[in-house]
Amino acid sequence: MTTHEQLASANLQLEAEVRELATRLREAEGAIGAIRRGEVDTLIFQGEAGPQLFTLAGRDAEANRFRGEILAQISDAVIVSNPDRLVTYLNTAAETLYGVPASDALGRHVSRLFKTQWDSPKSRSIAEAALLRLGAWRGELVQVTQDGRILNVESRVTMMREVAGIPGGALAVIRDVTERHRDDARVRVSEIRYRRLFEAAHDGVLLLDPATGRIIEANPFMTRMLNYPHEYLIGKELFEIGLLKDASASRDMFLKLRTESEVRYENLPLEGRDGKHQEVEVVANLYDEDGRSVIQCNIRDITVRKQAEEHVKLLMAEVNHRAKNLLAIVQVMAQQTAKLGDPKTFAVRLSERIAGLAAGQDLLVKSEWHGVEVSELIEAQLAHFRELIGSRILLDGMAVRLAPAAAQGIGMALHELSTNAAKYGALSQSTGEVIIRWRLSEDADPVFTMSWRERGGPLASRPQRTGFGQVVVGRMAAAAVNGAADIDFAKEGVSWSLSARARDVVASDGA
Amino acid sequence: MNPGSSPTEIAKPRILIVEDEPMLAYALEESLTEEGFAIAGVASRTEQALAMIATAGCDGAVIDMNLGGQSAAPIAAELRAREIPFVVVSGYSKAQQLDTFPGECFLQKPYRSGDLISALRIVLARQ
Repeated sequence: MTTHEQLASANLQLEAEVRELATRLREAEGAIGAIRRGEVDTLIFQGEAGPQLFTLAGRDAEANRFRGEILAQISDAVIVSNPDRLVTYLNTAAETLYGVPASDALGRHVSRLFKTQWDSPKSRSIAEAALLRLGAWRGELVQVTQDGRILNVESRVTMMREVAGIPGGALAVIRDVTERHRDDARVRVSEIRYRRLFEAAHDGVLLLDPATGRIIEANPFMTRMLNYPHEYLIGKELFEIGLLKDASASRDMFLKLRTESEVRYENLPLEGRDGKHQEVEVVANLYDEDGRSVIQCNIRDITVRKQAEEHVKLLMAEVNHRAKNLLAIVQVMAQQTAKLGDPKTFAVRLSERIAGLAAGQDLLVKSEWHGVEVSELIEAQLAHFRELIGSRILLDGMAVRLAPAAAQGIGMALHELSTNAAKYGALSQSTGEVIIRWRLSEDADPVFTMSWRERGGPLASRPQRTGFGQVVVGRMAAAAVNGAADIDFAKEGVSWSLSARARDVVASDGA
Repeated sequence: MNPGSSPTEIAKPRILIVEDEPMLAYALEESLTEEGFAIAGVASRTEQALAMIATAGCDGAVIDMNLGGQSAAPIAAELRAREIPFVVVSGYSKAQQLDTFPGECFLQKPYRSGDLISALRIVLARQ
């Protein structure tokens, strides 16, 4: 073969290869065009390891599913609607929030999901204008769901432009804030409630900044207590308003608060602006208020409580004094009963005398030591003979209220007289009577007289020796009324009389 | 003859009893007499006691601190001024007592008669 022939053959071969390459290039351009136009589902790539298959539509679906999953995961409701407000997409959160499944909502008007409750027509037109002009709007809305629930939502709406013939629409991302609104309302109510407590409290309340020791808030009662205006208190330290004596006392309190978180002062003298002294109790607490500490001081005016405590103390001392006095009397009664009486009847006689004393005490306590009516005193001391009062025991006297000491002395005398009458006198037999008479004279300095007369009983005679009973009805009764008492053993019966100035015997009004 | 002028009567110390409770005053009077004292007087009120000290006088006294709600402190002051020894008795506790009658010989009610007599003898001997 000649050189010429060889060249011509190579030329032919080259031309064939160029044609082959041009064809492949056209095919490749066609494939790329088809991929671009979305006409290709699958590509087979002839590589060294053999043909590889790529499914283009599968990758797209994968991406779409991925996007769908993301939208399903987020807690905000996402709704896409077309220009006719028909729903073209909604995520799981939207289905849940509005209680409508996607199958029921897609292709339907958005009002299938909710209706917006605008607070005014004006806010609606503002929102619509913003969407038109800026293509986006965000704000808070109230929506009513199909099942009648009222939702507070935060809504972000974005207008979507028309792309490649696909008409635009709206993308709404909606966050349910109903719970937060409810919490806010609760916080507001609670704030109002506690504010009211603070304002109306009958304790002073001060809030202090622990860093500076200065007052940051004071309630109205505090300003009344100190008689300082509210503005004056703010920014002051405790010692400046007379609550603690000096700056070092303030420092001590803060130091103590840091370790103990509560400090209590039982009795602090508090001096207000007008110099008025008050006894106060202060309880200071260190609180954490959202990461920032605050000291709350409760200041209570305990002046009245202190007075009541003093009064109780006084009463206790008085009760103690009276109880001891009574024990001393019982002691003397026992000694005298033993000394001047019959040892065989000692226990019985002493018990009777103590019972008489107790009956008198009951009356005094009942009247709060204001005094005892004579008739009441007689009925109490003659309780054993209650059924004889009005028949064999005759009471004759007006209403006279005896002072405590007189009531006790006369009461004991009546007890001795009735015991004696029951043993030896007018009440010892089935016949015989006692007349008890008392009078208040009508002089300028009135005299109180009282008498006990027995008659119709056995013949009376003066006892052989002076018993304790005689001492009680005689000189003791006389001493109790600061007057005179006399007993007479006449044959027809025992006769006892007592007289004293009314001012020593009669209870004074209101005393 | 005036019994006060007999030699035995003069030797007896005259004691003033200040007690508003008649039964206690009676018992005191009795036990003091039995123990060889003479009774200078029995008073149940402050002014009455002061009058007795001023007129009749006494060598010693037994005072109830509380006389029907009234304090017997003026009597104690008067006795101190006259250097007359005395014993204070009261139903109040010792702590309550010492505020008003500091440093005095004090007996709480109810007391034993023997204790009162001893206390009275001690304060009289101090003179």
